[in-house]
Amino acid sequence: MTTQVSGLGSTAGQMARMGLRYLSGRRLRTALTTLAIVFGVALIFAINLVLPSAVDAFNQTMSGIAGADATITSVTGEAFAPEAVLPRLEAIDGVRGITGVLRRQFQLPTLGIRNDNGSVPQIELVGLDPASASQVREFIVSEGRFLEPSDTGKAVLPAGLADLSPQLQVGTTFPLVTAGGLKLYTVVGLLAEQGSVSVPQIYVTLTDAQAAFNQSGLINAVEVSFDPRADREAVTAAIEQTLGDAYTLNTGSSSTDTLAAMQIGFAMMDLLGLLALFLGAFLIFNTFRTVIVERRHDLAMLRAVGATRRQITQMIVIESLIQGVLGTLIGLLLGYLMAQGVVSFMGRFWATYLNRGALELRLNAPAVLGAVALGLVTALIAGYFPARAAGKVSPLDALRPATTASIHRAARWSLIIGAGLMALAVLLLLTGSKGAAGGALLFLIGMVLAAPGLVMPAARLFSPILTLWYAREGDLARSNLVRQPGRAAITGSTLMIGLATLVTIAAIVSAFSGLINTLADANFGSDLILLPPSISIYDTVIGADENLAARLRALPEVEAVGSLRYASAAAGGQSLQVLGIDPNAYPQVATFEFSQGEPDKVFAALDSERNAIVTSLALSSLGVPVGSDVVLQTANGPQTYRIVGVANDLFTFKLAVMFISQANLAADFHKTEDIMLMVNLTPDADKAAALAKVQDILTDYPQFTARLTGEYREEIVRTSASAMYLFYALAFLILIPAALGLLNTLTINILERTREIGVVRAVGGSRTQVRRIVTAEALLLGVFGAAMGVLAGVAMSYGFIAAFATAGWEMPYQFPLLGVVAAIVIGVVLALFASVLPARSAARLDIIRALQYE
Amino acid sequence: MPIVRTDSLTKTYGDAAHPVSALNAVNLAVEEGEFLAIMGPSGSGKSTLLYLLGGLERPTSGQVWLRDHDLSKLNDNDLSRLRRTAIGFVFQFFNLIPVLTAQENVAIPLILDGMPRAQALKQADEALAKVGLSDRATHRPSEISGGQQQRVALARALVTKPAVILADEPTGNLDSRSSDEVVQMLRHTVDEWGQTLILVTHDPRIAAYADRIVFLKDGKIVDENRLKGQGTADQIREQLSRVALQ
Ligand SMILES: Nc1ncnc2c1ncn2[C@@H]1O[C@H](COP(=O)(O)OP(=O)(O)OP(=O)(O)O)[C@@H](O)[C@H]1O
Ligand SMILES: [Mg+2]
Repeated sequence: MTTQVSGLGSTAGQMARMGLRYLSGRRLRTALTTLAIVFGVALIFAINLVLPSAVDAFNQTMSGIAGADATITSVTGEAFAPEAVLPRLEAIDGVRGITGVLRRQFQLPTLGIRNDNGSVPQIELVGLDPASASQVREFIVSEGRFLEPSDTGKAVLPAGLADLSPQLQVGTTFPLVTAGGLKLYTVVGLLAEQGSVSVPQIYVTLTDAQAAFNQSGLINAVEVSFDPRADREAVTAAIEQTLGDAYTLNTGSSSTDTLAAMQIGFAMMDLLGLLALFLGAFLIFNTFRTVIVERRHDLAMLRAVGATRRQITQMIVIESLIQGVLGTLIGLLLGYLMAQGVVSFMGRFWATYLNRGALELRLNAPAVLGAVALGLVTALIAGYFPARAAGKVSPLDALRPATTASIHRAARWSLIIGAGLMALAVLLLLTGSKGAAGGALLFLIGMVLAAPGLVMPAARLFSPILTLWYAREGDLARSNLVRQPGRAAITGSTLMIGLATLVTIAAIVSAFSGLINTLADANFGSDLILLPPSISIYDTVIGADENLAARLRALPEVEAVGSLRYASAAAGGQSLQVLGIDPNAYPQVATFEFSQGEPDKVFAALDSERNAIVTSLALSSLGVPVGSDVVLQTANGPQTYRIVGVANDLFTFKLAVMFISQANLAADFHKTEDIMLMVNLTPDADKAAALAKVQDILTDYPQFTARLTGEYREEIVRTSASAMYLFYALAFLILIPAALGLLNTLTINILERTREIGVVRAVGGSRTQVRRIVTAEALLLGVFGAAMGVLAGVAMSYGFIAAFATAGWEMPYQFPLLGVVAAIVIGVVLALFASVLPARSAARLDIIRALQYE
Repeated sequence: MPIVRTDSLTKTYGDAAHPVSALNAVNLAVEEGEFLAIMGPSGSGKSTLLYLLGGLERPTSGQVWLRDHDLSKLNDNDLSRLRRTAIGFVFQFFNLIPVLTAQENVAIPLILDGMPRAQALKQADEALAKVGLSDRATHRPSEISGGQQQRVALARALVTKPAVILADEPTGNLDSRSSDEVVQMLRHTVDEWGQTLILVTHDPRIAAYADRIVFLKDGKIVDENRLKGQGTADQIREQLSRVALQ
């Protein structure tokens, strides 16, 4: 009578074997239940496969430490005069070599050079002083010679780059885009180094680089080498102390607002993944409750022949773990494929709008472990509670009809707690603060808790409607439903989460497209637009000097030319992008969507003093009101700007941007190059002809692409809309588990009532009547879930949009009427759909068998 | 000394307001190697008695002794262990787990007790051979007849070499030919291996195979028949209707 400890593994093994057989006996249900896990795991895994490479791509291109011990840049990232820094560094102990460089990354536009993957190659042009640079790091020449101070139009390349592009050999010439138009450079030497493969470097003299970037006499980085015996940390500290706040020792990781915006996007996907897992948990829970009713005889028999409660619990847990493992494995696979899809889909976006590094799929341990853990834990937790209930099945249940316990008391308590949570959630929502998103989730949780208590009132509320179609059967259906409020609640909650997600996504998508449309109206007032290779991130963009604008103005068809100029800056420890506009010319070609300030007054104010317009995101990250002064770190040191208005446009609404006059940009940041131009034509001009002329001029400025503004606008709106459809697709996927929950509950209800159905049939109920009872019950559940889903969806969408607004993404909240209607229709349709099989099997029950059941 | 013994065994269902007395102060002793049949009208407490003997149900008062274990003193885990090592059950319905083969069904009590699978399956094979079903070892319950299913259940009851086998109308669902097969098999286990067996039945022809019959009515033992396998079905039927009319 002793249990052999050594044999426990065999018991568990047998349980697993049995679990597998049960699961494979119900393949469809197993597959559908597992699907929820698959989906959640896949989503989360995919996101975390792509995220690191996206973040890295940013950081990698932001930092340009190459060989030197330290690189010093101004806080703003802008160019500065060497005299301000070099003499002070020379005095520091432990510093061996110092050299000023002017370096910039940009891409080689339309020169016919393409990478293997077809994207435009990005290069970094490094201007250096040949004499002092050699003291900072070694340049080993493998062929030809190194740069000499007197060189102009000469370049030195890493041999690795020459290997990649066989046309680049010593003695050959190649064209480079510069602010002054195309310039030819001659390769004079190759360096014995591989160079960066993703961003190859081309070395020219400092003077050449200054000319190319239209920044004569300036550098934007100082490279320093240390005495090998010096204490590196002490030297670093000394440098930092000497230079003060205006400069940073570049350590590599810098984040931008775009990165933050991107992370918001990824966080939303993560949230969707978590919701899917949550649903998966519900589904597993629900399914195993069904399973336990179905298998009561088997469980009881196992108990009768000596299984302990624990062994039974173990068996069910193992079974849900099998599903967890299966779902997780498939989820990982699917997630990998999804990530690949994202990479190829977003990669194009990346190339068009950002053009930074490569977006790639990176298999990393945290992503794998995180997804695996989430999948398994979900299955485990969801399986545990039904498993424990299974352990409590008495061995006599095999031999006796079931007794239904009353759970009304429990329902009342969870109603009270749930209602309390919902009240708290509404308060949070109404404050409209950053807690709004939390309020939205809290509302959802409150709803789930309150659900068991809501079943009865909801059934009472909705059954009169049902009676219209279902007369007597509707009453029966209602009483069937409220008999197991817990089960009805779970089913309703599953449906609710699915539908609430749908409503929320619909609301966000419509608000977002509304926003895009309004903003697009602001941006695209011009007739033609000249776009740089990358929009929103301008520090890799090589712009054009005033000649381009002048040549455009000289065209007879052109009425007005407006432009954007760019500099990076910092204020209050936050990095900011500064865009320069001409306050007189710009309003003719484009405008902003002002949320504070009168457009006329604000543009006028920009023309005088140091006044600025900021985007909503910039305002919230600065944390100051309109009218206040902000100290901006400029290339000339700190300067005080006054915020005179808050406005957004399509290119900047997700960024922290400050608009100032181009005069101020030239004075404080030494920047005079146009990075985007907009052209208005005379009313009677032929647009196509004008575009052709502009394109002709652009052969000298291949970094720009000229487009008809209207056409471009359409394209942008369309692209963002197609990205939104992706979210819709996800919302519909989330509905699959919800439908499954319905199916389960209906099946289990019928199983439990087999004998009753037999009685109904024996006393003369027709098959049709039985079927109608089941269908009516399904409808009631569907309407119940849809009602909860609509409530939760409205709360959630309101909360999320409020949360977006506090993060600077101001979108007008519109009641998601379409989403609500869709949710109700889908809820009812799903219910009808899910009821087909159970209704049929109930109607087909053999009367005698049904009466003998149990 | 009897292998199974009860002492004023009483079971009352329902609540205090509406008590249902299922078993009332039953004293019963079963000797090792004895084949006992329990008979009585419907609702007389036969099944209740069997559940109490098997530790599936707890007495309201009184004791059940299995060898020297007082079942009322054991907790759920100990009772489970006792069921899988010292007691064998054969019920009327739902005896077998549908997803397992006959062999695996028989091996369940051993596996639950921690015996390595291979060894458990081997012993299951031996038990199946005892009931003459070696050739059905790899079939699922749905693939064999009702009589064969009951024999598989019997093999499962035998496989642990239990102190006692408890059978609640094991032939209740079978035609007369299959019933005969099953009861002959039961008789065989008693005769060949000295198995102790307690069987509930409505069928006098089945009861006629027993060594002794006790008659229950309204939760009490009202009559007894020590026929030692010499009784006839007609005689038992007569006695049963006498009991019912009392
Ligand atoms: N779980 C229970 N709750 C309430 N009463 C019960 C329960 N189980 C049995 N009873 C009652 O106890 C009495 C004895 O039942 P039991 O099942 O032992 O009778 P039985 O002799 O096996 O009848 P049958 O020949 O019909 O199987 C009956 O009156 C029955 O209604
Ligand atoms: Mg009975």
